[in-house]
Amino acid sequence: MIETVRTGGIVLLVLAGLFFTLVSTTGVLRLPDVYSRAHTASQADTLGAGLTLAGVALALGWGTTTVKTVLLLVFVFATNPTAAHAISRAAHEEGIEPWTADDDRTDEELYEAARARVPDGGQSGGNTTTADEPGEQEETG
Amino acid sequence: MIPGLSGDFVTQVFLLVAAGFMLLAVAMFYRAIVGPTTQDRVLAVNVLGTNTVIVLALLAVGLGEQSLVDIALVYALLNFLMAVAISKFTVERGDVL
Amino acid sequence: MSDNRLLVPVSDTETLRQTVEYAVQTAVGTEADTPATVRFVYLNPARANQRAEATRRTAEKLLDRVAVWAREDAGERELVVETIHLGADRYIFSPADVANALVTEARGQNRRRVVLDPEYDPGIGAMLVQPLEGKLAGVEGIGVETAPVERQTRRTPVFELTTLGEIGTLFGISFVFYQVLAGNVTWLAANPVEWADKIYWLDIVTGTISATVAAVALSQVTLSTAPTRRSVGRVLRGLVYLPYLLVEIVKTNILVAAVILNPQIPVEPRLTRVRPALWGGLPMAVLANSITLTPGTLSVRITGRSLLVHTLVPRAREGLVDGGLERAVRFVFYGRGAMRMPSLRERGEADPVPADHVRPVDEQSGDDGNGTDTAGSNDTDGGEGR
Repeated sequence: MIETVRTGGIVLLVLAGLFFTLVSTTGVLRLPDVYSRAHTASQADTLGAGLTLAGVALALGWGTTTVKTVLLLVFVFATNPTAAHAISRAAHEEGIEPWTADDDRTDEELYEAARARVPDGGQSGGNTTTADEPGEQEETG
Repeated sequence: MIPGLSGDFVTQVFLLVAAGFMLLAVAMFYRAIVGPTTQDRVLAVNVLGTNTVIVLALLAVGLGEQSLVDIALVYALLNFLMAVAISKFTVERGDVL
Repeated sequence: MSDNRLLVPVSDTETLRQTVEYAVQTAVGTEADTPATVRFVYLNPARANQRAEATRRTAEKLLDRVAVWAREDAGERELVVETIHLGADRYIFSPADVANALVTEARGQNRRRVVLDPEYDPGIGAMLVQPLEGKLAGVEGIGVETAPVERQTRRTPVFELTTLGEIGTLFGISFVFYQVLAGNVTWLAANPVEWADKIYWLDIVTGTISATVAAVALSQVTLSTAPTRRSVGRVLRGLVYLPYLLVEIVKTNILVAAVILNPQIPVEPRLTRVRPALWGGLPMAVLANSITLTPGTLSVRITGRSLLVHTLVPRAREGLVDGGLERAVRFVFYGRGAMRMPSLRERGEADPVPADHVRPVDEQSGDDGNGTDTAGSNDTDGGEGR
């Protein structure tokens, strides 16, 4: 009896994980710009990874490997949002505008627009960085 | 093998789900190739990496090869470093984190 | 090199005396039409307000001392000495913030040369001078030089008493982590009685060595202060916070999943700037990470206390400005009493930001940064206001 419940729980967790990863993949493929994609990539994926790894941990039972799986889970939870933040911040520093509902440009055009604004053709975000930081500092004061 | 696991059923499910994750990873290549921005590509590769980690963990159960979890742990670390390093590199001398 | 008006950030270091001397000699030794001027700037690190009075006194004492030294070095020659204490009204967390504050000050006072003390440290808990120098060197119209001082010895020996606590904590964590990975912890839990003759001594020895290396090498990076009784409370409250966060993640994940799987993808992305009532790097990092973990909201940028958040759907936006996460993080770091406060929206600490605020690279440079804010509050969207 308890084994059946456990098996059911494992299968459910793993399938739910697969579902959320499917959602995340769909999001990364369908959403309009890099920022929206960063949302779904980090988040649905975190839950997808979390549920699947929970399923794996449950399947493994008590043991060193399970502890490692839990560590892996914690690690994915801590690093995925950080990576997403790093990526979206890099996009912001390159001057890529977020897409809005009333904007009819595609992601490609937004990218071209960002590249066109930087004098050296978008090869370095350095100019953007140093230029807009004093501005932001004013706001925090 | 894994102790106390009820038969081949769970193993089969895990292998099938791992295959499903592989398919999703392949779909993610579209974003990695098309872009358009560098960040899109990094993002796609990051998600691909997370998928790989999950597949490794699933295979650890599916194939009864527990050492795969250690590989997954290392892979997750490298995946994170990759995303941060490339993000930092693309903006140059900016402090990304 | 014809500019004899210098800006010198100061902090209490062993090399400060030499830096002051160098700055004064440079200023009076430069031929220019303007009177030689050295402006000493004391930047306040981002600390909670309770110690404001104490830091103000420290700052004034230091600045007085510096001014006396400067006049002493100038001797008969003409030199204007100015001192200013900055930062009571702003939050400084990172080298970038320090650089920004200095650039703002330099521009405001029309200074083009900055002299840096090689051990300059405004107390943000990070090695600073090199990144700071890099930042300043990248700013147009400002020259930066490091004072050539002689250091007697390294100021902090590897084992200083105050860092022993940090090293010890880090050693403990690393050692336990090593043993967990080696499988000894789970084995011990299963066989608690017979450990003495069965334990794998190789793991203990290699674990001790690795943990020592990790602790000594990384103690300065990982922990800014040695843990106190307060940190224990924080960790415990953090454990309470995790389930709450998990529930939030699942709830919003379902919301966002519905949006993504909807054939029309009804997304309305917006940027929102919020200023949560949190001080210090760690609380902000925890909040930013939690925001990113919660679907529908993604922290794009942190500047001091202000957080630029990209939100995907209006529901997620409302959740953000209702400040549930902010309150939870305040609970973790400041205790139960800190939770009772109005939401970000009621405090007026959340503003919409137009998507094209990143566009005007040339317009935004310099001192007109307020443009962003004004444009933000005039935004017609109003989604955040409701």
